[in-house]
Amino acid sequence: MKKVYEKYKRIYWGVLGIFIFICIWYAATKFTGFGNIMPDPITVFGGFFRSFVKPIGTKTMALHILISLSRVLVPYVIGGVLGVIVGVLMGWYKLADAILMPYIQMIRPIPPIAWIPLSIIWFGFDESSKYFLIFLACFFTIAVTTYNGVHSVDDTLVRAARMLGANDRQLFTTIVLPTTVPYIFSGLQVALGSAWATIVAAEMIRSSEGVGWLIVRGQDVGNMEQIMIGIVAIALTGLLITTLMRVLENKLCAWTVRGK
Amino acid sequence: MKQKREKINKYIIVSIISVCLGIFAWWLVTDGLEIFRSNVLPSPTKVLRTFGKKWVETKPDGATLLQHLGASLQVALGGYFIGALIGIPLGIFMAWNDKIDMLVRPVFDLVRTVPGIAWTSVMVTLVGIGFMSKALVIFISAMVAMVINSYSGIKQTKTVHLWVGQTFGASNWELLTKIAIPSALPMIFTGLDVALGASWTTLVAAELLASTRGLGFMIQQARGISRLDIVIVGMIVIAITGSILSAIIRKIGEHVVKGARLQ
Repeated sequence: MKKVYEKYKRIYWGVLGIFIFICIWYAATKFTGFGNIMPDPITVFGGFFRSFVKPIGTKTMALHILISLSRVLVPYVIGGVLGVIVGVLMGWYKLADAILMPYIQMIRPIPPIAWIPLSIIWFGFDESSKYFLIFLACFFTIAVTTYNGVHSVDDTLVRAARMLGANDRQLFTTIVLPTTVPYIFSGLQVALGSAWATIVAAEMIRSSEGVGWLIVRGQDVGNMEQIMIGIVAIALTGLLITTLMRVLENKLCAWTVRGK
Repeated sequence: MKQKREKINKYIIVSIISVCLGIFAWWLVTDGLEIFRSNVLPSPTKVLRTFGKKWVETKPDGATLLQHLGASLQVALGGYFIGALIGIPLGIFMAWNDKIDMLVRPVFDLVRTVPGIAWTSVMVTLVGIGFMSKALVIFISAMVAMVINSYSGIKQTKTVHLWVGQTFGASNWELLTKIAIPSALPMIFTGLDVALGASWTTLVAAELLASTRGLGFMIQQARGISRLDIVIVGMIVIAITGSILSAIIRKIGEHVVKGARLQ
């Protein structure tokens, strides 16, 4: 009996914690004035599941989530590929470092969200302005982490390989790349999180569909239930994509144990 | 040694040339050849002039740059400090007490997946547009970052150190204050830095969405009348302020955490 408890105690306490949280939420809405503005958890979760069949606005929940995800995916892939290439170039060639690093240092402190006004003027209100924002949110993070990864390559290993007659290509594929890949993945992980936050903000500021639009529309018409449904959707989707990314990382980088 | 210094200097010169060329190209496509008009891409000289003028001029958005900056800083730092004040002890407490950890962690993991900015709608509906709603949103973003970092800081305490403490008869409280918290300090300061970045970003987003003053409001207004020079000035000020704030936190961190290297 004790053994069973030890094995499942995390799940037991975790479920209990979530249950208590939902109970407090429920009690607060039912027995205090809080309930006048805040819907209770049953309404929210019921509404969340109902929204998969009953459309909010013109689209169902699945479509809203897919639209937001597709806005993230395309620029995320482009930003990731370019970021890795630029990061490796800068890490490996001092000249590329000297030319590009000042720009990265200057542009990176600007939050991606602060680009929204510019992106609207440059690209209008359609998808390309959102692609531009997400690209910015991903590219710099991934480029800098890749750059740090290349710099973390052990110099002794490089010199040993050189001494044993490795050429540049061998050096790159057998030493630099395996050291860098965990860094690239941590960059991809961080970038995915910030891309998701950025698309939510961008959709809240200007959009006619997507999960960010859901909550801002709820705010405009004073529908708290819709806001909370949108937040649940954002949380669950964010949790899903970062978990997927972590599973992928563990599968692909099995040889390295990165500090968790 | 001398040769090495010359080599470094060479690359600094390359960097300077690179930046100068970039600015020249910017000038060339705007003022020089007039490929882009100023409502698409203002010239560097215009941005510089606006940057100088905006300190005293309230047009077109009703406040000087300093007033906007002050308003933004007030909200961001207010939310940030309360977030840190609650987040650090909460993170430490969660990491130290096993039962609380198992109880609160899943709820916390669910809440933290929501980007801070998504709470704006909730807060605006609850308390209306103004100081309070923005400060609450920033409070949430800062607190989440603080809890995560102080939590993992405490969790990283070396078990051997705790055993040594126990062997010498330290109480639970002494173990926490003399061993766990000091070894978590570098992580706590990393958290302070991350939380500051998160607060500043969230603030800009909140001001773009719902505000009547502040840097985010300024660039949003300027966008509406196609004054891109003000937009770019605003972005530069946002970036510089963020960097300065982060540098201050790091300096304090280096001062407080002696002997430990901050990540």
